[in-house]
Amino acid sequence: MSDTLLWYTTRGAGAVSLILLSGVVVLGVLSALRVQSAGWPKFLTTGLHRNIALMAMVFLALHIVTAIVDPFTHLGWLTAVVPFSSYYRTLWLGLGTIAFELLVAIVATSLVRGLIGQGAWRAVHWLAYASWPVAVIHGFGTGTDALSGWFMVLSIVCVGSVAVAVVYRLGQGSADPLASARSDFRARVARRPDR
Amino acid sequence: MTGLRLLAGPDLASGAESDANHSRRLGAPKLSGRALIEALASSGLTGRGGGSFPVGTKWRAVAAASKGSPVVVVNGAEGEPQSHKDRVLMSTRPHLVLDGAFLAAHTLRAREVIVYIGEEHRAARAAMDRALAERTESERRIARMVGAPQRYVAGESRAAVHLIEAGVATPTTAPPRSHERGVAGAPTLVQNVETLAHVALIARYGDAWFRSAGRRGAAGTLLITVAGGVKRPGVLEVEAGTTIEEAVAMADGPSGPASAVLIGGYFGAWVAAAKAWELPLDAAALKTEGFNLGCGVVGVLPAGRCGVCDTARIMRYLAEESSAQCGPCFFGLRALSDACSRIAERGANRDEIARLKRWVVEVPGRGACRHPDGAVMFLRSALATFADEFAAHPAHWRQQPA
Repeated sequence: MSDTLLWYTTRGAGAVSLILLSGVVVLGVLSALRVQSAGWPKFLTTGLHRNIALMAMVFLALHIVTAIVDPFTHLGWLTAVVPFSSYYRTLWLGLGTIAFELLVAIVATSLVRGLIGQGAWRAVHWLAYASWPVAVIHGFGTGTDALSGWFMVLSIVCVGSVAVAVVYRLGQGSADPLASARSDFRARVARRPDR
Repeated sequence: MTGLRLLAGPDLASGAESDANHSRRLGAPKLSGRALIEALASSGLTGRGGGSFPVGTKWRAVAAASKGSPVVVVNGAEGEPQSHKDRVLMSTRPHLVLDGAFLAAHTLRAREVIVYIGEEHRAARAAMDRALAERTESERRIARMVGAPQRYVAGESRAAVHLIEAGVATPTTAPPRSHERGVAGAPTLVQNVETLAHVALIARYGDAWFRSAGRRGAAGTLLITVAGGVKRPGVLEVEAGTTIEEAVAMADGPSGPASAVLIGGYFGAWVAAAKAWELPLDAAALKTEGFNLGCGVVGVLPAGRCGVCDTARIMRYLAEESSAQCGPCFFGLRALSDACSRIAERGANRDEIARLKRWVVEVPGRGACRHPDGAVMFLRSALATFADEFAAHPAHWRQQPA
């Protein structure tokens, strides 16, 4: 494989990963809101969320492997797992490593959700809100294309969609329609102090 | 008003029987331990809180469970709105209940006895409190009182365990059942107060004596609450197998023509009066007919009272009593209740009835506890018994007092 091709692949796979991961975050937020309509059943949101997440892992793997095997960078395999171990753009690459490892934790716990239980899975899944912004910063900081017009537009669209989804979710209050009824009921069947 | 066995002895109007009186009248229990469990098993005694589970089987399960020393929960929550028998028993024969509780504790080597009584059953709580103070030091040391919140689900055994454990009386999923893993993970015997009172007598007189009462093949006696259109509503002790007609006659008969009877309370079933009169008050016999004895409520619906409106009122109550833990129960019962209310308010509507019939099969079996199942069973019996009334209901919505 030619060196130039490797380099282009790294950049392209990085950009595709950004698009896919932003889509995954938006769909995750929407599934928590239980968005549905006649043409869009709830399982479509969760199904897309899951499958696009797995697809993003493939492009991320491509992004990372091509970057490491690129003979001009000499990053070394350690860079992929140990944050801030790279001689080259130490901070920005380190952020990429962190974002990737958080993502691996999220995907791994999702695959064994039945074993670890809903509570632990959910706790780890919250890391998505750390992983995605760190990945975006990594892209801006280290990206060869960060200042090019197409990447700017792409980034604005991705960050904008996630921001809109999150703000919309926060405005909706609790997504669980049972939650308020349940907490009311629990308050009414709570033990009063023993006499 | 006195009864046959549990309510035999001094006049009930004179209040709680003292320990001295109780001991003089009945003597000390003779059976305990393994022999008591065997006697309970062969007596045929079943739980009187609504589940009608064989008592001997439950005690055997707790005795066989090896994990930790067991806990006994004396269930006097009595959340069923029409039932009064548990609080009458606790208010008048508290020592019979406590005898049964401490026999259970002794037999099962329990480390704790928790007396769980409905918070608003003030007279019953006071009587049980006073009776507990009269017990021996070793008994008092392992006993404590816990108030049950006044909600329908609070008396369900896992809800009782959850209140004692976590301070919130919401049902949790079963299995594990309470007798496998209950309070602090220990096997927990949750037993209704009437059941424990029967235990106290079986420990004195044996299983053959228990079976010597009972008609039409049923064993023992039971407490029932006769409510609604009878001349003297209240709590009665009857022989198991007594027909509803005989029980109503003991309440001085119906106050007028009756159209239907609600058997077993709000988780029970409406039965057309003509059929209901013949039914025996016995858990096993009712079960073969497709009904539940429940906690022994016999609610007589006078001919002038609207069964559809009563059904709508009770469905609204049961929907509001959903603990909102499971969607099918919370949303399902609410939808069923709303449809009933619309029929009651705006009159019969073929679409609403079709919808009710479609929905009642979709709700049961989908909750953590059996609350939705009980409510749906009640509604199905109403749709069958009051089929004509539902089909021709005027838009009147009579707010009849419960």
